[in-house]
Amino acid sequence: MVPTPERPQEKALGQTAEPPRAEPRVRRLNIIGRRNIFFAISLLIIIPGILSMATKGFLLGIDFAGGTEFTVSFANNPSVAAVESAVAADPLTAGGTVIQTGAGGYIIRSLPLTPQQQALVEDDLTKRVGPMVVQQVIEVGGTIARETIEFALLALVLASAAILFLLAIRFRNVPGGWRAGFQFGGSALAALLHDVFLLTGLFSIMGKVLGLRIGEIDSLFVTAVLTVVGFSVHDTIVVFDRIRENLRHSQRLSFEQVVNLSIMQTAARSIITSFTVVLVLAAILISGGTTLKGFALALLIGIVSGTYSSIFNASPLLVVWRRVQPLR
Amino acid sequence: MLQLVLSWPIRLLIIGVLVFSLFVDGAGYVYRIANHYPLTGNVPGLPPNFGGWQLYIHRGLDLAGGTHIDYQLTNFPPGQSRADVQQRTIQVINKRVNSLGVSEPEIRGAGNNNDRITVDLAGVTAQQAQKTIGAISKLIYTKWVADANVTNGPEPGYKPQFVGLTGDDIQSATATIDQTGTAWDVNISFTSRGAGVFDNLTRDNVAACPGAGVDCPLRHLTIWLDLTQKDIDNWVDPSYVSKIYAPYDTGCLSAQTPNTVCGKFLVDANSLTEIAGGQAVITGNFTQQSATDLATGINSGSLPVDLQVLDVTQVGSTLGAESVKLSLAAGLLGLSIVVLFMIIYYRVPGLLASIALLFYAGAVLAIFKVVPVTLTLAGITGFILSVGMAVDANVLIFERFKEEVRAGRTIAAAVDAAVHRAWPAIRDSNTSTLITCVILGFVGPPAVQGFAITLGIGVVVSLVSAIVVTHNLLAIVMTGSALRRPALMGVDRSARVV
Repeated sequence: MVPTPERPQEKALGQTAEPPRAEPRVRRLNIIGRRNIFFAISLLIIIPGILSMATKGFLLGIDFAGGTEFTVSFANNPSVAAVESAVAADPLTAGGTVIQTGAGGYIIRSLPLTPQQQALVEDDLTKRVGPMVVQQVIEVGGTIARETIEFALLALVLASAAILFLLAIRFRNVPGGWRAGFQFGGSALAALLHDVFLLTGLFSIMGKVLGLRIGEIDSLFVTAVLTVVGFSVHDTIVVFDRIRENLRHSQRLSFEQVVNLSIMQTAARSIITSFTVVLVLAAILISGGTTLKGFALALLIGIVSGTYSSIFNASPLLVVWRRVQPLR
Repeated sequence: MLQLVLSWPIRLLIIGVLVFSLFVDGAGYVYRIANHYPLTGNVPGLPPNFGGWQLYIHRGLDLAGGTHIDYQLTNFPPGQSRADVQQRTIQVINKRVNSLGVSEPEIRGAGNNNDRITVDLAGVTAQQAQKTIGAISKLIYTKWVADANVTNGPEPGYKPQFVGLTGDDIQSATATIDQTGTAWDVNISFTSRGAGVFDNLTRDNVAACPGAGVDCPLRHLTIWLDLTQKDIDNWVDPSYVSKIYAPYDTGCLSAQTPNTVCGKFLVDANSLTEIAGGQAVITGNFTQQSATDLATGINSGSLPVDLQVLDVTQVGSTLGAESVKLSLAAGLLGLSIVVLFMIIYYRVPGLLASIALLFYAGAVLAIFKVVPVTLTLAGITGFILSVGMAVDANVLIFERFKEEVRAGRTIAAAVDAAVHRAWPAIRDSNTSTLITCVILGFVGPPAVQGFAITLGIGVVVSLVSAIVVTHNLLAIVMTGSALRRPALMGVDRSARVV
């Protein structure tokens, strides 16, 4: 194997003498050595999530479930029971669901309705419950719902494949060539899928097992998942980039030591970046309106998971992969 | 390559971009405020104005309030290009929507097979919109045939009969002023099939009632909207006929149930001569207004296809305004948290990064205005998120900078080394995000596409901001200034292990 040239960019800087490179002052935690603990923590959350997804599915938002959804706000602040009985009494909405969103605020769902039927329903509700303001009406047919899901899945698959190849290309110049590149890419992909399954699994549990409305899946949730994919890979690449760099000039260290060192060196950055994003999301989650709450929660879970997986899963996985398939 | 970043041409370019961005961001607001126009939306005469092109933030329906409808087109007329039919349908919908007085209606073709149309109407309820657009009216031509049972109605002794000519056979109808220059006419041009049918009809009509300039029922051709066989069967009932014979009412027609009877009458014209060539003129005592109305009626009455509603979203304007407020608050809150944190944690570099962040925000908003990007809730999220990514590039550089200083480099050398060493990570991580954005932009559902566009723009600008702007600011501040003290750099020199 041709030895990699020693830090070519160093010369471009016009430095006269390389300062003595001390061991960077970072606290040493043996993350690689304890990798099984971290894998176990991840599996502990992901497996129940996958079970929940497989057996119970998701609480579907209107854009996936299809049907008509009225978002209304009653001036006289009626009780849930009052609204429910009014909805059940109207033949057009009988069998529909009622969800309270705030004082006087309700979401009412029914089967698909024509505009004329919608107007009838609105009149009826006003008559039976009291004056109200219709804030939003969404009507979704089955075609669009199916297409949204198909598009989202297609996008996820394409994005995953693209990321795998991008990493393989970018990391093929580490010792080991293309095979090493695919090890890096594959580990990043695994961390990415970890985040996707953890997030979707948790939402399945929240929506179906715990029956919380915040666990509802809609197109904003799809946006959140895809954002998390972006962030997760972002974090992972930063760690991997450091591994790539350290592999070049810390040739005395074993692969595991290099990986552990790189994680330690980048941990501050990963945590700081995620921390700022988490602060913003927490603010939205606490003060934001109902439309954005589920979205903010999804992003929050995903970003935390993405940071966790890039530190505790992606790199340890790379080490495991190297052991199984050694590269020389 | 990175050496070039610190050259003066690049610095001037960046300053130029900044000035242009600020100009674009601010453009129009003075005019709007001085003339009491609303702060968003299209307003007449807004400067800078190049052929009606205006600069302002375009808000999506979830922010502005309004109705979004996806239509599936079915029953395409055979033998015509689907793309043409789709375009004609869009024109018809456009004309119908114009009557609602919507500002910037968005009517776009979609679908793999030219079989979808998406309509976005701000400030209109779903009901109004569907009533106006969804009127599945078809233009129907009839002639009159004798029927002794009919004693009343527009032509006593006669009832209408279908002639196999419908709106599908009409290319267009236009209002024009006639040769005398005083009266208004309506010109109808038929498709090639329509021209043939119309030619035969007019020839037969003239033959059925011979003589020059005679006006008899057998010569009349009448245009209706949605006239059915059932209506004709009921022609003996005078009260029924008087309802049908009333001027067409699209509102009633779109809402009709089997028991309602709506006005369906458009025009009743006498054929003076045989008309070959597919160009007919309807004359009468038209004013400009009534001729235009009739032409619009003929055009918009004839949807070439059937429209089937796939989905409808109606957002109340209060909810939209609420969303704008919330996302603005979230954005400002996020930005100030980030700025505060950067300054406390990284001191002078943090302050410089915050300045770079302002450049970033200004440039991205300018791009949104110029392109223009229609901002939706998801789009704003993409923008806020890209702020996070812009900061991340700076954090990467600064963390590296601290390491290099601790490793014993001078501060100036550490800045250079930090940017160089952080670059591969910044490049690769942003490339992966950009690739994701491109994929989402092409295959994602519409709500996700808006997100992908704003995030993508944000990522590109954030790269420039971190690598070019922050680096330059650092380099300028670092050259012989009193700010080069490690404490102000957020670096604890005593922690040096060397």
